[in-house]
Order: sequence, then structure tokens, then C-alpha cells
Amino acid sequence: MARQLELATILEQQQPARQIYRLRLRAPAIAAAGRAGQFVMIRINDGIDPLLRRPFSFHRIDREAGTFEILYRVVGRGTRELARKPPGATLSCLGPLGNGFTLVGATSGQPVALVAGGIGIAPLVQLMAELAARIPRAESHRLMLFYGARNAEELLPESTFEPFGCIVHTSTDDGSKGFCGLVTQLLDQVTRDQDLTFSALYACGTLAMQYHVARWAEQRSIPAQLSLESLMACGLGACLGCALPAPHPNRPGADHYQHVCVNGPVFEPGSIRWDQIEPPPTPPTLVCN
Amino acid sequence: MGPDRTPADAPDLGVQLGPLKLRNPVMVASGTFGYGQEYADFAPAERLGALVVKGISLQPRTGNPPPRLVETAAGMINAIGLENVGVEAFIATKLPRLAALEVPVVVNIFGHTTDEYAALAARLDGVPGIAAIEINISCPNVKQGGLQFGSDPAMAAAVVRAVRAATRLPIITKLTPNVTRIGDLAAAVEQAGTDLVSCINTVTAMAVDVFSRRPKLANVVGGLSGPAIKPIALRCVHEVAAAVSCPVIGIGGIMSAVDALEFLLVGARAVQVGTANFTNPAVTLEIIDGIERFMRHQGLTTLEDFIGGLDTSCRFPFADQ
Repeated sequence: MARQLELATILEQQQPARQIYRLRLRAPAIAAAGRAGQFVMIRINDGIDPLLRRPFSFHRIDREAGTFEILYRVVGRGTRELARKPPGATLSCLGPLGNGFTLVGATSGQPVALVAGGIGIAPLVQLMAELAARIPRAESHRLMLFYGARNAEELLPESTFEPFGCIVHTSTDDGSKGFCGLVTQLLDQVTRDQDLTFSALYACGTLAMQYHVARWAEQRSIPAQLSLESLMACGLGACLGCALPAPHPNRPGADHYQHVCVNGPVFEPGSIRWDQIEPPPTPPTLVCN
Repeated sequence: MGPDRTPADAPDLGVQLGPLKLRNPVMVASGTFGYGQEYADFAPAERLGALVVKGISLQPRTGNPPPRLVETAAGMINAIGLENVGVEAFIATKLPRLAALEVPVVVNIFGHTTDEYAALAARLDGVPGIAAIEINISCPNVKQGGLQFGSDPAMAAAVVRAVRAATRLPIITKLTPNVTRIGDLAAAVEQAGTDLVSCINTVTAMAVDVFSRRPKLANVVGGLSGPAIKPIALRCVHEVAAAVSCPVIGIGGIMSAVDALEFLLVGARAVQVGTANFTNPAVTLEIIDGIERFMRHQGLTTLEDFIGGLDTSCRFPFADQ
């Protein structure tokens, strides 16, 4: 489906967790074409500062209503300005962009893992909806969400996931809710305790989290799809700014790059040279008691 | 618009650019429009004055490690590292689709040595579908070549002479602003045989993070582009236009029709739109339409009456307003 440049109208802005905002936009052309894991580039204002669009993955898409939602964390100038936009304001949106998730694992009978770190929950909710639609309701417990954040206040409310009937395991870095530790540790522990064999794994989170999820999935031969992020200027494959180191298709060891905007943002673990990510991803310091 | 207007009254946006005739003065800058296909949904190449493709080298280049770009105040710094498919793959896989479009295609080239520039020019000479070559002697990201060629008038002239000897195609030489006297550089490359000059390329810049205590680009330094550099670019075009008799293409932070017109006013005969394509993929069409509206508003039937028309005689230009 063709990419669109569409002037979207803000219908609603909510703050479901600390520093986290959910923006619902009317943009029928983009909503009609978008799929889980794809993203939109949103221009913050009509001026020249901030200059570049910001990439946001689809958090929810309602094709019939002609709307979609983004979920974002306020991290800088662009998102701070976005969080102040009132309903009725318009935003120039470019999308849908990128490859999106490939829906696999839903019909296997085996559990499917969705691993979210912090604001990485954003694309996994639309993915959850699309997976749940392919699974008989009685089997929806096969969808297992592993959801970590720094603390309880930064987690989306559990009601977010109730419509999908999935199982939700949460972790926090400070132990204020759920498992005290990293979501990757939670994933590993639950998998061992329950002797689970996942037919597919989907993940979105920090590069540090993805680094560990990639290795964990590869060691267990679980087909994994990781939604990665990068600074980017165009979103269309022109600026070549959003490069990540990747294995060379013909010459092992030679320098090669994948571009998050057109080759991704969803990648299999083996398509990224994790050893060349600079600076090396380091997990956060935990403050558990 | 009056009721008696006919299409014959429509302003003519066409410009003669040395050996090139453009339907309008709005080109897209190298490295900001891919190979044309990336923007086909938003800015059909057939509407542009000309399309300059991403810089091409003899061998493919993988580019720099990330992070490759960072946003700054009203601008961005990039250190892509001239990632490109190499001239053979360009001719085989990219050029045929470009050549099928109704738009002059300008191939931007760069090398590490004068011989490499000459070899590229020779390889492209006679290949169908190429309207001109733009010599990139001013990219600040390639340590071995780029900036050294671009900032020394004698070396820049040597590159232009080598390319001139290797091709019959029109030559555009793209100048760096990272010099003290850009007019000297322009005069040197004109003397060496360039048909046109374009300016400016990006301004060498850097950004750092005090928390990680690291540079924000893996390459440490990069090239600043966007509206932040427009005043620098205008000054450079003004100086270059005075220093050469060949046509000048203005580049640097153009976001709107008024921005483009400012460059024409100081002496550019065409402009290249770069970073603005990232912000708004349809910006070139808006600029072209805006120039036409301006011409109607000003009663201009051709841009010739406007180009280079800057009035510097009044010391207090605001006094009349």
C-alpha cells in the first residue's frame, strides 16, 4: 500500500503512565494502510525548529474509524512539544513506513512471546491485537507479554491488555511492581519455570534489551522479530542516516549496514551485527532490595 | 487572476543554466532525494528542474558507522560517509529508471584522487540519460579526499581540469563554504573549465553530549545543513556570483519559495533543495508553485528580470517601508 502524506487531526491526548502519552489521530489513508510494526514520521510543527520529523510506531490502528494511535515517552524537545498539542490540532504525518511485523506463530499451538521494555510496548499492543484476532479466544493465553519498565508508574495499566486475553508478566527495575529485575531476566525465569517452548518471539525496547533478547532467542532457536529504532531524517531511504551494522551478504566480516527505515524497523536477530553496536549496550543499574 | 487570463500569460519559470535548459529553477541536492524512486509518491521527478543523485564513487562505499546524524537548532549534522552503490551498479541498476523520467539527471561524483575523478567522468561520458556531472570536492566526511581538494583553489582546479579532459558532459563544481575566500575558489574552478558552480555544501560542525561525554556522531564531526546555514549560503552565493561569469546554483537551507527566491535575487540562476526534502517530501512542488505565485504577484513573465537583481544601493533599506 502506498505511503501517504496526510494532515492528521488530533482527536485525543491522554497520559496513561508517567512521562508516557497516547495520541489518537484521525488519518484515514494512513490508518487504512498501516500494519503492526510499521511507523509514521510526524512533523512537530510548521516551523523550522525542531526541523526533522519524529518516527513513531503504530500503537493501535482502527481502520474502520480511520484513526490510529501513537504511544510515546517525553524524552526531548519534539516529544515535549507534542505532549502539549490539544485535540483539534493538526499534524503532518508521513506513512505507513517500514516493513512491519510478519505474523507467525499464532496458529502453531505453542506460546508466543512478546517482550517489551519501557516505551517499547508501543508497537506490541497493535501486534497483540492482530495476533489475538488469529487465535481462538479459548487459546488467547498462548499470547504471553513480558513487560518491563523502570518502575510501576511507567507501566501502562493492565486494563490495556485485557481485551486480548493474554497473560501478562511484568517486571520493574526497582521492584515497585512485578518481578524485580530486567524483563530479559523475567523472560528467562518464566520460560524455565514453566518449561515453555515459544513458536515465535517479538520484542521492542532499548538496544541493550534487544541485544540480550536477540542472543537469548538465537540460543533457543526461537524465530524472533525485533523492532529497532534509530535517529533518522527522512524515513524513506534517502538520507541513509539510520544505519545499523549488519553482516555482509557476501563477504563475512566486511562492513555493511542495514537502514532502519526501509530494511526495518523489524529485524531478525541474525541481520544485525550486535558485536559492532557502539557504545556496547549496558543494562541499567538496578536498585532492587 | 483576471478573467481574460490565458495559459499564454502563465509565468515562464524556465531558466537557461549554461548548457542546461531547466523547466524551472528548483533542483534537488545530492544525497537528499536518493535516486528519485524514494520520493516518487510525493514529488514526481518530472516536475523538478533537475535531479542530482546521491554522490557516486568508483567503488561501492558502505559509509560511516552510526550514529550518522544529529538534529541541531534549525538544522542537522550528518556524517553519512558517502554510502553509495558505486558507479557500475549505479549505471546498471539505478540510471535506467532515472533516465526514463522526464527530468535532467545530474550525477554527483567524488573520488580520493584526481585520477579517480577523471576515471568516473570518463566512465559516465557517453552513457545515455545523464545531463551533467556535479563534482563533489567539498564533502567534509571523507578524510582522504573531500575537504582537501575542496578548500585549496589549486587542487580544486586540478580536479576540474582532469574531469574536463575526460568528459563532454556539462560540469557543475560544488563548492565548500569551509574556506576563507569562496570567491577565489570559484574563480579557480571556472578558470579550470567548469560550466557551472553550485554552493554551498554543508558547513563543518559537531555536537557533543555532556552526560555521556561523547560526540553525538561516530565520525565526531560532520556537515551542518538546514535553515541554520541559509545566511551563510546566501553570503557565499553573493560572493561567488561576483567572482565568476558562469551560472551559479544556490544551495543551503532552502525550505520555502521565498528562501529559493532569496538565492535567485543574490545571483543564483537555480537552486538545490536538500534537507527540506526530509522534513517535507513534497516541499519542492510547494516551492515551484510558490515561485510561480510570486511571479504573478510581481508581474514577472520570466525569472530573468529577477535573477541577480539585488539592490545594494540603499544603505537603509527599511527606511522606505
